[in-house]
Amino acid sequence: MIPRSTMKSGPGVWRLAWRVSQHRPREFWAGWALFILFFTFPVLGGWLLGRGFHALESGDYSRVYWYAAAALATDVLRMTTIHAGALTWTRAWVHMQSFLRANLLAAQLASGGPEAGQPVGSSGEAITHFRDDVEDVTMFIDGLIDVSAGLAFTVLAGFVLGSIDSGAAAVLMVPLAGVAVATRTLDHRIKRYRATDRAAAAAVSGFLGDVMSAATTVKVNGAAPATLSRLGSLVDARRHTAVRDRVLDDGVQAFAQGAADVGLGFVLLVSAGAMASGAFDVGNLAVFTAYLGWLSFLPRMVGRVMARRKQAGVAFERMRGLVADGDVRNTVRTRSLPVGRRELRPRITATRPTRVPLQLLEVRGLTAQYATGGGVRDVSFTIARGSFTVLTGPIGSGKSTLLRALLGLTHGAELEGQVWWNGVEVVDRAAFFVPPNAAYLPQVPQLISDSVADNITLGEVPLAELLRALDLAAVRADIEEMPDGTATLIGPRGLRLSGGQRQRVATARAVVHSPELVVLDDLSSALDVETELELWANLAAAGMTVLAVSHRAVALERADQVLRLDAGRPAVHASR
Amino acid sequence: MATATSRWRALAALLRPDSRRWAGLGLLVALASGLSLAGPLVVRRIVDLAQAGTTAAQLTSLAFLFLGLAVATQLITVVVSWFATITAWHTTNQIRLQLASHVLGLDHEFHRRHTPGELIQRVDGDVTSVSDFLGRVVPRVVGAVAMVVGMLGVLAVVDWRLAAGALAYVVITGAVIVRGRHRAVGEATDEMGAYAQLYGGIEERLTAAEDLRSNGAGAHAMWRFVEESAATMETSVRRESAFLRLWWAVQGSVAVGSSISLVVGAALVGSGSITIGTAFLMFQYVLLLERPLEDVIQQLETVQKANGAMVRVIDLLAIRPTILDNGTASPDRGPLTIEFDDVSFDYGGEGREGDERVLHDISLTIAGGRSVGIVGRTGSGKTTLSRLVLRLVEATHGELRLGGVAIADIPMAELRRRVALIPQEVELFSGTIRDNVTLFDATSSDEQVTDALRRVGLGALADGGVHRQLGSGGAGLSAGEAQLLALARVWLRNPDLVVLDEATARVDPATEVRLEAAIAELIDGRTALVIAHRLSTLRHVDEIVILDRGRVVEHGTRDALTDDGASRFHRLLELALEDAP
Repeated sequence: MIPRSTMKSGPGVWRLAWRVSQHRPREFWAGWALFILFFTFPVLGGWLLGRGFHALESGDYSRVYWYAAAALATDVLRMTTIHAGALTWTRAWVHMQSFLRANLLAAQLASGGPEAGQPVGSSGEAITHFRDDVEDVTMFIDGLIDVSAGLAFTVLAGFVLGSIDSGAAAVLMVPLAGVAVATRTLDHRIKRYRATDRAAAAAVSGFLGDVMSAATTVKVNGAAPATLSRLGSLVDARRHTAVRDRVLDDGVQAFAQGAADVGLGFVLLVSAGAMASGAFDVGNLAVFTAYLGWLSFLPRMVGRVMARRKQAGVAFERMRGLVADGDVRNTVRTRSLPVGRRELRPRITATRPTRVPLQLLEVRGLTAQYATGGGVRDVSFTIARGSFTVLTGPIGSGKSTLLRALLGLTHGAELEGQVWWNGVEVVDRAAFFVPPNAAYLPQVPQLISDSVADNITLGEVPLAELLRALDLAAVRADIEEMPDGTATLIGPRGLRLSGGQRQRVATARAVVHSPELVVLDDLSSALDVETELELWANLAAAGMTVLAVSHRAVALERADQVLRLDAGRPAVHASR
Repeated sequence: MATATSRWRALAALLRPDSRRWAGLGLLVALASGLSLAGPLVVRRIVDLAQAGTTAAQLTSLAFLFLGLAVATQLITVVVSWFATITAWHTTNQIRLQLASHVLGLDHEFHRRHTPGELIQRVDGDVTSVSDFLGRVVPRVVGAVAMVVGMLGVLAVVDWRLAAGALAYVVITGAVIVRGRHRAVGEATDEMGAYAQLYGGIEERLTAAEDLRSNGAGAHAMWRFVEESAATMETSVRRESAFLRLWWAVQGSVAVGSSISLVVGAALVGSGSITIGTAFLMFQYVLLLERPLEDVIQQLETVQKANGAMVRVIDLLAIRPTILDNGTASPDRGPLTIEFDDVSFDYGGEGREGDERVLHDISLTIAGGRSVGIVGRTGSGKTTLSRLVLRLVEATHGELRLGGVAIADIPMAELRRRVALIPQEVELFSGTIRDNVTLFDATSSDEQVTDALRRVGLGALADGGVHRQLGSGGAGLSAGEAQLLALARVWLRNPDLVVLDEATARVDPATEVRLEAAIAELIDGRTALVIAHRLSTLRHVDEIVILDRGRVVEHGTRDALTDDGASRFHRLLELALEDAP
């Protein structure tokens, strides 16, 4: 996390929302215009119905038929407009959402460079930025469209009603204003109840998640009855929050819809005299009745859009943490995003740095200290081409931190020291230490639900090189035994593979581009000793330069040099 | 798959315990619909009186009546919503608990095939869909039907021809909506699928972000993202156009209806068979229909979701465990002997030779109180062997006896009390330290919990109080501490047989020393099976069993095998030498 004070204070929500809306200006403006048009038709339709009832009252039946036909034609036009409008707006909506998501994701996945953002903690929480925060921003823009359309209707309808009976029109505004006030004031409470309900729901699903992940533990400990009674009290608590949330929400909605009926009641009260005298006829009543449902739209939306503006502000604030420099403007970076139905989506070939053959890697005084106290301090060593360096030491001694600091993957730590490659300092290490210069295998490698081949190549790679990587990682026999070979889908997070297979597929991923330097975090926990031995032999035979964490003698014995870390400091530095 | 009728029968069975609440809700909904029909009748009276000529005072009192009805309708709507939500949650919470209990009783193999995320979705997500359906859709549909029936009744009293015409109108509108519904929900499901894929993909890529960044795979991942976003665009537009058709149906029927009411009104008023007030009543009723119709359309996705959810819930309840709890015999007290009598195991012919889950012709006797190390390559069947002893799986051939009693004859509760497992990955719960040691069992006292923690060397943790919270996944504990906590769970239960499955694989050598001491104390006087990659873990066991491709290839005392230069164990020791500095 970047300290708050150093974050740039960016432009306001309106400015940012404008940028989002102008990602695809044509869809946006077309959708907006169609919505405004859509809302003007009911003014005409209601007026025509009113004329119809007026004609009915005065006994002019042939004109009644004409007015009915005209009202029907108006409605057909209205629906045609909304058909086009809704389809256009759906496209604008998906474009805007994809635009925000693309900016967040690109910042998360960039290997160094100006676009690289702050990595997020848990992916489960991060997904809420991509789903809920993005939704909040587009809902604000959507609300603005609704308000402007509602305003168009209200102004036009106000003229018509005012010309019929200004007193009745004025009294109609009372319950409608009430709706705006109620929506606005209760919105906070709705949100609070919703948050409590979400928390209760999260407690239930969190507990269920714990129980289902630990189903075997629960089973073998005979703990099912006790676990279920705990679940019982959690679901009970959630029932209370859910009821409260729903009743308030439905209550506000019932009030908004009922306000139209109450408004009609007021109109009847105020106009009772005029009706008795015949000045306010059934035609006028029909116009009022026809407009009522539409009139409650604007106050409802005004109350809501104010709340949404606040939410959109919070959403931008949250999303800011994911993008480069914590600068909110990077959430709305202009980019081309061909997600439309007939747009071409050429497969982007990965832009990789040019290969710089490794002669000598020098690490000078590398320090990565976390505020919590962990990390490494002042580590220096050199790695020569084709050598095998083993990094060892107890858990928590900073082995992974050292590797990640070297590769420029550390975030939120105080960094010092330099890394030199063939006598030249590497400045943007995250951008430089990617294949073909370096490849990294984390301690717990993550795979994605694609084919084996896609997981290894992450782009286009000739088949021969893929097979060579499988051989090097000692996983080719396993893959060839699978029904679809390298096209086998490995399931979410690679769960269809065994732990050892996942580790070796990830190893193949690290070597497929024949990187100048292979960096492997601890493999031992997932591989048996014989497989580990085979792997080291393969990498040596391929002439690769390797920096690896291991505790095992099979690695230590083969090493050209051994770095032993203890509490973040180099303890032993033994070279052969 | 359940058939449609059996599905409804199963749904009815789930609702039966709360049937009186549901009946009460039905009455409330009917009352609310009736009230909303009364308002337009008052307006009709006002219009007719105004036509006939009347005093303002009389109209004013009618206007007050209308206002009162409008307010009452709103109030009762809220009451309906409150009662419907309470009832729906009451019923579905019972279903949740029933499902959770059912799932926990299913075989180990079931849990291997289904990810926790999927099971949460079954037990919680699906039931929430059913709950939404019961609490929101059912009252609305019942309300809409009650309203239509009431309208037809009112119109029938006024003029039977109006009622007949309105009936035809309602039937046609309903038919159009029902026909359009199928396509719309199909498209909505596609859209949900596309979004699930999009978010699933994003989440996976974020989890793998470091792997992707360090492999320079950002461009590749972004290309996938654009493809998936394009799929959401495609399906969103299709869903929108399908729903627009439905919307045309509703809006069109209201538009046609209001024009027809005017035309029919003109004809009937002209012939003198109805008053202008009645013509206006028809117009109001047409407008009144719009709201419930739109509501029902908006809830279509909920219906679809609930439909799929219901099927999955019932299908899940139909899965039966194969490992049954029918035993009545008890082995003698004290450490349990383990006897494998020609035991073979495979997963219904799926396993090939060399499959990690297959065991062949295992005959092995382990005396009570002995500790035995199980050694073998990944996939040699070590873990399957331990699952047999825990009766998480059942031998396909041969018999396994504990303390001389066939394992299937031991009551499950007793087996669970006497046989304990310490796994490689300790599963912790977000809850207090106490919850994590007792696994939510209230019968152990705090003192017993503290004592168990002290015995395994977690005295420092106990000193801070056992009612402190641990984060989800055991945040705040190191891997070694989590293992020690798992030992404390076992201490508390005082079992006669302990299975350690790679219990120390994830900890570093220093922590391992601490764990080993606690383990040595725990297994003293009990029978123990110790599975390990690291041979150093097996320093203190009495015997060694080596498995290879599902067969026992070596079994002897540790000392004899270590000294025998020709033994496999001896060769493995030479290969490993892992603690050599």
